[in-house]
Amino acid sequence: MSFKIIEDLTSDVMFEAEGKTLKELFESSAKALFSIICKLDKVKAKTPKKIEIKANNLEELMFNWLQKLIAMVDIEEMFFNKFEIEEISEKKLKAKVYGSEIKPETGETVVKAVTNYKFKVWKEKDKYIARIVLDI
Amino acid sequence: MKELLKKATEFEYVLPKGSRKGMNVDARIIANKFILDGLEDESVKQLSNVAMLPGIIEPAWAMPDMHFGYGLPMGAVAAFDKDKGIISAGMTGFDINCGINLIRTNLTLKELEPKLNILNKALFKAIPCGVGSKGKLKLNNQQLKEVLTRGIKWAVENGYGTDNDIKNTEENGSMDGVNVSTISDTALKRGIPQLGTLGAGNHFLELQKVSHILDEKTAKKFGINDKNQITIMLHCGSRGLGHQIATDYLKIQEKAAEKYKISLPDRQLACAPINSKEGQDYFSAMKGAVNYSFTNRLIMTQWIRETFEKIFGRKWEEMEMETVYGIAHNICKKEKYKGKEIYIHRKGATRSLPEKPVLIAGSMGTASYILKGTEEAEKTFYSSCHGAGRAMSRNQAIKSFRGNDIKKELEKEGKAVEATSPIVLAEEAPKAYKDIENVIDSVQGAGISKKVVRVVPIGIIKG
Repeated sequence: MSFKIIEDLTSDVMFEAEGKTLKELFESSAKALFSIICKLDKVKAKTPKKIEIKANNLEELMFNWLQKLIAMVDIEEMFFNKFEIEEISEKKLKAKVYGSEIKPETGETVVKAVTNYKFKVWKEKDKYIARIVLDI
Repeated sequence: MKELLKKATEFEYVLPKGSRKGMNVDARIIANKFILDGLEDESVKQLSNVAMLPGIIEPAWAMPDMHFGYGLPMGAVAAFDKDKGIISAGMTGFDINCGINLIRTNLTLKELEPKLNILNKALFKAIPCGVGSKGKLKLNNQQLKEVLTRGIKWAVENGYGTDNDIKNTEENGSMDGVNVSTISDTALKRGIPQLGTLGAGNHFLELQKVSHILDEKTAKKFGINDKNQITIMLHCGSRGLGHQIATDYLKIQEKAAEKYKISLPDRQLACAPINSKEGQDYFSAMKGAVNYSFTNRLIMTQWIRETFEKIFGRKWEEMEMETVYGIAHNICKKEKYKGKEIYIHRKGATRSLPEKPVLIAGSMGTASYILKGTEEAEKTFYSSCHGAGRAMSRNQAIKSFRGNDIKKELEKEGKAVEATSPIVLAEEAPKAYKDIENVIDSVQGAGISKKVVRVVPIGIIKG
């Protein structure tokens, strides 16, 4: 399970995340997202939140998953650093995410949204890969 | 694509509609030679995509601060016929009504300098900024609805600002016709805790001093009388509420484009006919975000005034801390143009009405400008540029600069700097942006705005 930040755009940030299974892919994508929003190692994984996402296909599921997490930062006023996908298919997922209250010293930057630019989720040999561009 | 640009004047280049199959109108770019040389080819292509959309009124414009964006470049202006045209969530962007408020004071540099550091620190405390700060206000649902539908009228009735602030804000800080049911629950929930927060990234609060008065008569009208007079610039937007509305309607309008058989040159230009439910629902929701953002900036303006009162022991009215102007630079509006109603998208572009202030933010640590609009701006649908425009990606900037070095350099120049993290200072390093002077020379050369006052920062607060 891993991710890397890729240099590319003038105003934004792109990452690629991968995993051997869909579960791993979605967990590493969420980790990549929060590595941009906050200092992952300074956030405490203490308060759990349950999430359920539905979509028409795998790409939409990824989009909705990340978008939901971005919204939760504002609504719950929390940063998350631990993500457990409990159930996942191409159209649905159930997850438990853990984090703690936002604090200025643990924050990095505001991610405005997931964009459609170069957005792609695909399978390559024995792993799944997601390429995501965020507007920050 | 860039090689197809033809020089129309020293400050205007045209991409004729025959340059690419599908273009309905010409595209034009305002730029001097220096700006033109630095343009990214992809951003010119994006502008040609906009020229392909149905009902676009000639021409599609790009301002000298243009750079690659989503669907269309930042620094773009596109006007559409009210009957045949489209309205687009993609073309307004994620940060709806990102904009600037400029506040003047009657304080001079000499009075402020001894208190600069303590004032800058106090402002950093008073204005919640960065991704990790909690808002100080917690609205209830009813209050949020009032903000969305009435904008800064609500703020003034609740003790934030005065009628003068209303008078000196674009659209008087309140756009009519917001139906709250067009805004999703998620967007509303994101809006509740964040009113009165600055955000992060390129958003900032700056203490500035007037460095040059370039048009004395107009400057006086705007309340700027002397060199070294202190001004305050606030740059931010509609926060998570606006981001969510944009995200929601990008999805809705992507489907709408299919439904109404609009062929999209780029799916990020998701749009719907102006006269469709998907078009008008977006217009309503977007106006809600516009009102929220105007209110956001006025609430923080009032907190800035209160902070000055504490530090200087005088009433803000005594310090003449009046709003010079509040403007939007990411917005879609229905405006009258040559006697007709048009829908105009300005993304990273500012309204430029004759004799009215046009506020242009430079990059961190560099000059900003107060311009005035002109009659000649009729050709750009009364629009101008919005800022310096990025020249380097955020990632590239983080790799090229160290936040702490940038801070030291700024402090060496006598500027006070407060930021939630050094990374944001690296991201926003002055060298990551185009040179503001070339951007301003281009709009002045093209005649769409004229220089009035140049200001430079002395105190910087970044989220």
